[in-house]
Amino acid sequence: MELLIIPLLFALIALFVPKQFLRYYALIGGLVSTAVAVGHVVTYVPADLYVSVFDPNWASTFGLTYKMGYDGISLIMIVLTNLVTFLILLSNFNGTLASNRMFTSMVFFMQVGLLGVFLSMDGLLFYVFWEISLIPVFLIFLWFGAPGRKADLIKFFIYTFVGSLAMLFALMMLKVGGSGFEGAASFSWEDLMKVQLGTTSALWVMGGFFLAFAVKIPLFPFHGWQPETYVKSPMAGTMLLSALMLKMALYGMMRWMLPMAPEAIESYTMPVVVLGTIGVIYAAILAIRQKNIKRTFAFASISHVGLIAAGIVVMSYDAMTGAVIQMVNHSLVAVGLFLAAEVIDRRLGTNEYENLGGIAKQAPRFAFWFGAIVFAGISIPLTSGFIGEFLLIRGVYFYDMTWGILIGTTLILACVYTFRAYQLSMNGPSKNFNFPDLTWNETAVFFVLMVLIVFIGVYPQMIVEVIEPSLKTLLDNIHSSQNIAH
Amino acid sequence: MSISQLLPLILLLPLIGGAINGIFGKNMPKVLVGSIATLATSLSFVFALMIFFQIDEAVRVNLFTILSLPSIELNASFLADNLSIWMTLIVTGVGALIHLFSMGYMKNDPGYYKFFTYLNLFIFSMLLLILGSNYFILFFGWEGVGVCSYLLIGFWYADAEKGMLNSMAARKAFVMNRIGDLALLIGMFMILNQYGTLEYLELANMVTVGQIVTSPEMMLGITICLFIGATGKSAQIPLFTWLPDAMAGPTPVSALIHAATMVTAGIFLVVRSNFLFELAPFTQDAMLYIGLITSIVAAFIAMRQNDIKKVLAYSTVSQLGLLFVALGMGAYTVAIFHVTTHAFFKALLFLGSGSVIHAVSEEQDIRKMGGLKNKIPVTHITFLIGTLAITGFPLLSGFYSKDEILAVAFGQNTTLYILVLISVIMTAMYMFRLYFVTFHGTYRGSKETESHIHEGPASMTLPLVVLAVLSVIGGVLNLPGIWFKNQAHWLSHYLERNTAGLEKIVTDHLADSTVMVLMAVAVLVTLAILAVSYSVYVKKNSIPVEDSELSGWEKVSANKLYIDEIYNFLFVKPIVWMSEKGYSFFELYFLNGIVLTITKGIAAGGERVKKWQSGYANWYVLWMVSGIVGLIVYYLVKI
Repeated sequence: MELLIIPLLFALIALFVPKQFLRYYALIGGLVSTAVAVGHVVTYVPADLYVSVFDPNWASTFGLTYKMGYDGISLIMIVLTNLVTFLILLSNFNGTLASNRMFTSMVFFMQVGLLGVFLSMDGLLFYVFWEISLIPVFLIFLWFGAPGRKADLIKFFIYTFVGSLAMLFALMMLKVGGSGFEGAASFSWEDLMKVQLGTTSALWVMGGFFLAFAVKIPLFPFHGWQPETYVKSPMAGTMLLSALMLKMALYGMMRWMLPMAPEAIESYTMPVVVLGTIGVIYAAILAIRQKNIKRTFAFASISHVGLIAAGIVVMSYDAMTGAVIQMVNHSLVAVGLFLAAEVIDRRLGTNEYENLGGIAKQAPRFAFWFGAIVFAGISIPLTSGFIGEFLLIRGVYFYDMTWGILIGTTLILACVYTFRAYQLSMNGPSKNFNFPDLTWNETAVFFVLMVLIVFIGVYPQMIVEVIEPSLKTLLDNIHSSQNIAH
Repeated sequence: MSISQLLPLILLLPLIGGAINGIFGKNMPKVLVGSIATLATSLSFVFALMIFFQIDEAVRVNLFTILSLPSIELNASFLADNLSIWMTLIVTGVGALIHLFSMGYMKNDPGYYKFFTYLNLFIFSMLLLILGSNYFILFFGWEGVGVCSYLLIGFWYADAEKGMLNSMAARKAFVMNRIGDLALLIGMFMILNQYGTLEYLELANMVTVGQIVTSPEMMLGITICLFIGATGKSAQIPLFTWLPDAMAGPTPVSALIHAATMVTAGIFLVVRSNFLFELAPFTQDAMLYIGLITSIVAAFIAMRQNDIKKVLAYSTVSQLGLLFVALGMGAYTVAIFHVTTHAFFKALLFLGSGSVIHAVSEEQDIRKMGGLKNKIPVTHITFLIGTLAITGFPLLSGFYSKDEILAVAFGQNTTLYILVLISVIMTAMYMFRLYFVTFHGTYRGSKETESHIHEGPASMTLPLVVLAVLSVIGGVLNLPGIWFKNQAHWLSHYLERNTAGLEKIVTDHLADSTVMVLMAVAVLVTLAILAVSYSVYVKKNSIPVEDSELSGWEKVSANKLYIDEIYNFLFVKPIVWMSEKGYSFFELYFLNGIVLTITKGIAAGGERVKKWQSGYANWYVLWMVSGIVGLIVYYLVKI
């Protein structure tokens, strides 16, 4: 439970910390919560379903159970959340927002929301945290975003809100029951999973979850809110959105969408694979000619997560492993790429390619780390992305050869737009501006990211060992209820 | 030391060298940086030699497990067998010489330490590729050399005029390679699904013993995918246009990566997978035809190029084509023999061209050279040896390796032999043209540059001399059976031992008399072209004219068959169009439009509903009362 309470306390106290100490306070908060999460990994012993961390053993009249816990998969996401939050705070250390109380508090609140999502073992609780996590990132966007953001704010809110309502509908359906099936005893994960849905109702339940997750990931064609929100959010907001918030949705697919309505998986697999593939190719092609570095990376993000979603729904153990590794990798790379964009923005006040060029000559340290992240972004072997994409593409290929090959083109397209982004901004002769090299905290963030990326790339077994038992249990549960349905 | 101890050392040394230079090189003296890099590679070579002398069976060393899942286990394990050790010797040996050359060539470059870091990392990646005991590790190296190649092609990315062009060339190389890489990856998936392992030894066992019966279609799919991967790395049609552009990198890079080692990775892949290709006759034919066409097309383009490095680049493409012809005919050991001699003389030619470029103040256009033979004598002599070796001049290394390919082709059918011979003839034509125009006649550059012409330092001339010696004597590795009967085909026999699959392949040799006749034909042809070239370029002193004055086939050749333009029209333009229209129309207008329509509809609905909230209390009372009545009616009905 301290997993949740510590960031909550940090979020509340942040409102009263003197401004000159705030940046140090933020770092301490990030470090402490990361350390606590790592402690949980070290002492983690795989349990039957999940390790319970909070269970008041009390059911309210409408079935809310307050059950919280984690298994290997959630644990990886929890560590990732805390670490990335810390890195976001660290990369902001010298920024103007670092001494803003509301900002610091909101980042910690976001952390609470995300951790809640990953810890919830109760459907309604999951929904509540899912919605809570929307508020801080929305407020960060509202208060600190770029000018001209009003329409994008509304769009962002409406999109995600509609998705959330669909999920609420699915949860209600599971609990209340409907024609031909009994509702669940409570909203707890186990009870919801026991519900035997009919063919049609399973389609509706899964559809409800799918819409919520598809919007947040975002999957093509539900991505309309994403590019401008990413571009106009302050950097910390963009990082929270891309590195963490969309992971809630991918995690949700694994934890909630597939186990709740296994009867409908087969009807959903192909459409999701197709949407994922279209998204991979469509977003990659659009990324190729963008004029703004942040928008390039926004489309790149859509392209990369399409593959993860497709890998999850094919439901093979290998692809699921790949999905978890790739979720971690995508977070690390997204933080790196958006930080690179931010480093440029902080110094030059622009992210348009036409104003950039020749930075490498002036800032060799930045050139090196940005270059390293670029190679991680195109999934070179020895980086975590390669392991993830290898398993994911293989999973999709195994499910369907044609779509596997098509989705594999991400390997080719990714290097076109990622290299373009790097070369247009960094290469060529020096231009008429002064570009100071990285500060210590920016370097530190890149350093931590690359160490993790290479470590996971060389020894992914470390993650595999944590998630293996949980993934097996999860898939076994899904398969067995699938078999009952047949 | 035992093989299992030596093998990791061979791999680690270049990595350590690269790490030291990468981290501390910036503040170290240049000599130290260069020496560390050269020493690391040389030591790897020495260790490889030690393995070479003691190996008598294939040894596999497993370092650790990368990934262990129920359906796959991927190990970081390495394999020392005769093939991989031979390739290691080439890579580290030629690599060490090129490192040494670079110490002189890059002396004044501000990115000196970066250059040597990349070179060492390249050697490391190349060794991963060669020494890996499975396709997975091979793929690590395969992409790793691509990364190093990218970094080194775009090494001068900040150049005022060419910086952006160099970067584009690097990106082009990487993207085209990635197309091949995807195919290779798919091929690996197929192998994995079919056999459940990516280890060469297990695979060879399963395939040759026939434990698992593989349908011809599956075998075709696997081998075609591997072959497409090979066409990317080894610059074959249709994925070859990146290699000439890759000449944007420093010349030692062209010698090491884009001539001697990396581009032969595709050949290595096919030789490694020989047991698969042997069961896929269609793929073998495809390799043969693709190789043949590439060889002739590239040689044709090389005829009218005037950039000294471009000529050599197309020459490399053409020679690689010949290698695929050999592979298509199942002559794997012959291919490795030619890879070896080609590494010697093509590295020599590239380093020689580097020495020339260095001498004439970075000029690369041979029309502005001429008469260099007395000004840079060492470069001249060694370049001449390289030229003679590649054109198959009698008794030099290229003579033997090329004749082997010609002989195998003759053994298949005469038409094939003639086509290969045409490629060989064209090679002689463009190489002699290149040599004579560069070194003979009078100097055509500016007076100012003429005064600067000088031979490079010893670190540059020494590798030239060593490579020249190797280019001369390299042929003894695999003598044809007509001399020294007992020692003949040493390399072929060597490779056939301890190499999965190769020991099973029976190579039959032509009769001695036939071999003699074929040799005589090749010699006569080469000498004839030498004579003609001498009279045209030296006696008549004709110099290549401006491209704009060319017509007919010469214009087509000078414009590289317009292949870049065709690719641009077929692939680049449509994608750019899709990207721009996709964003402006589909994304902003269409998708956004749908959402806007929906929200407008909701807003309009809201306007209507708003009217119900009129603010008049009596209306609210009415709604409330009807609500209550409704509920009562509902419950009454329900009961």
